[in-house]
Amino acid sequence: MFKKFEEKDSISSIQQLKSSVQKGIRAKLLEAYPKLETHIDLILPKKDSYRIAKCHDHIELLLNGTGEQVFFRHRDGPWMPTLRLLHKFPYFVTMQQVDKGAIRFVLSGANVMCPGLTSPGASMTPAEKSTVVAIMAEGKEHALAIGLLTLSTEDILKVNKGIGIETYHFLNDGLWKSKPIK
Amino acid sequence: MTNESTNAAERLKLGPREGVTYPVVMKYCGHCSMPIEYCEYYPEYEKCKEWLERNLPDDFERLKIEEEQASADGTDDDKKRQKRGGKGLLRVKKKEDVPKRICVSRAARGKKKSVTVVTGLSTFDIDLKVAAKFFGTKFACGSSVTGDDEIVIQGDVKDELFDVIPDKWAEIDEDVIEDLGDLKR
Ligand SMILES: [Zn+2]
Repeated sequence: MFKKFEEKDSISSIQQLKSSVQKGIRAKLLEAYPKLETHIDLILPKKDSYRIAKCHDHIELLLNGTGEQVFFRHRDGPWMPTLRLLHKFPYFVTMQQVDKGAIRFVLSGANVMCPGLTSPGASMTPAEKSTVVAIMAEGKEHALAIGLLTLSTEDILKVNKGIGIETYHFLNDGLWKSKPIK
Repeated sequence: MTNESTNAAERLKLGPREGVTYPVVMKYCGHCSMPIEYCEYYPEYEKCKEWLERNLPDDFERLKIEEEQASADGTDDDKKRQKRGGKGLLRVKKKEDVPKRICVSRAARGKKKSVTVVTGLSTFDIDLKVAAKFFGTKFACGSSVTGDDEIVIQGDVKDELFDVIPDKWAEIDEDVIEDLGDLKR
């Protein structure tokens, strides 16, 4: 999704959020990621004003008070954390681990295929279809991508072919490379 | 459950970990920008290693020991694992090598007044908006981003810039700032 993203060309407008909208987003985030509760005030301090950058291809970025991209979403989809945020608070998104062999594919932006999630080096935590997931890897500590489950983990085990996770954002894509927006 | 899978389940568990202070401070590679554990997947891994050796020598040593062990045990993963088809190769995006250079010039504005134009700051990865704000405060005058890589400062401050810029951004040497003299706008 951010393969061709370029801060300069892809952002069409940036708007300040009304405090009511801001509250709404905060509530939505806590609903989607209950574990965020512990540190949400560090990520999105209540008194700060956030902005939304509207980008091409129906992508929106949520910027916190310091201009860091903290969450993004596609159309009306769920808000997903950026990897830079997730690395700082790596515990609030459901994690799925791919095997070593899948790493280079994910790093080139490919979706995760079911066998990469079911082989001996992989490990899944039970989740429903369309859950936002952090893509972890065998032998590695940090997330390398963020995506959405296209099947429930139960079905991934059963079907074991085709796409299991649709990759939205990965290390070194355009979003990873963009700097805070002042 | 085997030991391996209990470990994985523990690692993938939700919720903050005890004894960890958040936000976690990350070590990112200065060459490929990824967490250093992923450098090995970068096509220019050798350059990543050079960076590591210079900037994070402890991590570099650890990596070297691990690599030596792996080749001694013959546990090179490439041999053990099945190869997958398709193109899983990362390509290094060619960065256009823009020369790092800053140009300053003066332009007349009306009969008596002039403005100073600064270009090239972004070749040093400097946030132009921040820079414009800084000049405005420094010289107590108007200053704004006027183009892709251009800042216009109201007033003639060209000569001062040769001191102010290297002072503010240590990575910029006075010698890379070029004086273009008076230009028409
Ligand atoms: Zn690297």
